[in-house]
Amino acid sequence: MEKQEKIKILYVDDEINNLTGFKASFRINYNIMIAVNATDAMEHLNSHPDIRVIFCDQRMPGKTGVQFFEEIRSRYPKPIRILLTGYSDIDSVIDSINLGNVFRYVKKPWKDADILAAINEANKFYVSNSLLAVKNEELQKAYNELDKFSYSVTHDMRGPLLSILGAVEAAQHMEDITEIRKMLLLMKESVRNLDDFIQSIHDYYNLNRGELEIKEIDFKEIVDEQIRIFNFTYLVSDVKFSKSIEQKETFRGDDVSIKLILNNLLSNAFKYQKKENKEKLVELKILVENGKAVIEVIDNGVGIDQNYIGDIFNMFFRASSQEVGSGFGLYNVKAAVIKLNGKIDVDSEINKGTRFRVVIQNK
Amino acid sequence: MLTPFPHFIIIDDSQLDCFIGEKIIQNTGTFSSVKSYIQATEAYEAIKNSDPNTTEPITIIVLDIQMPVMNGFQFVEAFEQLPESIRSHYAIFMFSSSINENDKNRLENHPCIRKFYSKPISKDIVASIVDSL
Repeated sequence: MEKQEKIKILYVDDEINNLTGFKASFRINYNIMIAVNATDAMEHLNSHPDIRVIFCDQRMPGKTGVQFFEEIRSRYPKPIRILLTGYSDIDSVIDSINLGNVFRYVKKPWKDADILAAINEANKFYVSNSLLAVKNEELQKAYNELDKFSYSVTHDMRGPLLSILGAVEAAQHMEDITEIRKMLLLMKESVRNLDDFIQSIHDYYNLNRGELEIKEIDFKEIVDEQIRIFNFTYLVSDVKFSKSIEQKETFRGDDVSIKLILNNLLSNAFKYQKKENKEKLVELKILVENGKAVIEVIDNGVGIDQNYIGDIFNMFFRASSQEVGSGFGLYNVKAAVIKLNGKIDVDSEINKGTRFRVVIQNK
Repeated sequence: MLTPFPHFIIIDDSQLDCFIGEKIIQNTGTFSSVKSYIQATEAYEAIKNSDPNTTEPITIIVLDIQMPVMNGFQFVEAFEQLPESIRSHYAIFMFSSSINENDKNRLENHPCIRKFYSKPISKDIVASIVDSL
């Protein structure tokens, strides 16, 4: 038996002597509650929803044990029901099983060993039932997520493809070469969006299934590499980018997750700029000291509406139509931060800019 | 078919889809004007502030479902709150690359949505929309 908390057991019997005897015998190992009638029993069940086993005497004035079980079954389905009786006629056994749906049947006068064995079995049954309920709930949640996931993925993959199909058809009727060029440029963007989306599904998969690979992180090197690979400036060319990286100690962490965080936050900062703004700024600050790394990405772009700020880390949520987002980026960032046991905060004001702050621990 | 030809408004967060829609509508020749919005909220504001006493021909709204900030259904719900004198100048047609059961049921709840079409928009679809008026 677990040490933490005693299993709660309810015993219902109209004979006080039986009740006190039962309590005296088992209270060292179990939390025993007693009731002289159905009303008292209900009170216990109401105030202790975690009662695991109910023993009930069959012969009580006004109501039999089977009737009592039959009554409480639908309201309190969880506790395991055990019937105690001195009269072992076959009819009451059949009733107790069919109507009261009892788990066990113990003869009166009971022996301690019989009761202990019954409690043990009942508790095992209770635990596996509850585990099953929890698993079922998890499974249902996973199914729902999968439904939403596959719908959105289908939509987000078909969207750009159908756009390109439409563009090809429209282009067949175009004579003007500058119009065709404009169409090609938009098609290229569509292909790039589709590719970005597939990349983020890949990231999602890695984050959820992949193991952490802890190694030494040189932030300067990682940042330079990300900037080289992703060439963020293709998104918006006239952004002034400044970075300050101060690494005062050796840092160990999972470089895949850290790169994902940097890459997504930086590309968002570049993407969500105000087009009319003359001084577009993106700032990256990294400070590694006292066993942690603080990463800040700051921009003076479009900002996030306060109404949406609670939703930005949700899968497929997009707070802006300025740029074609996948609805996956910040979801993945959050998943990566959680995987690293870190924290992420966001500060944003519409039309002023956004600041993301990530803190991760040195492993 | 109505003459003069209808106006068109395209509401789609994909710039490419707006551009394609404009080209295809222009190619049919059966239109008075065509305008695109990548933000449903902007289109809604424009419609809300449009003249209820206009003598212009009807405006066809080509509406995407999945959009950030305000999606197609949210747009329809907002549109339904507008006075009849404005609504009567518009006809909504919905477009999407895919549709789930939930969305199908939602379509039925909004009688102001004349019809649903799968993307991409084509010359034939535009012709059948114009014919249906």
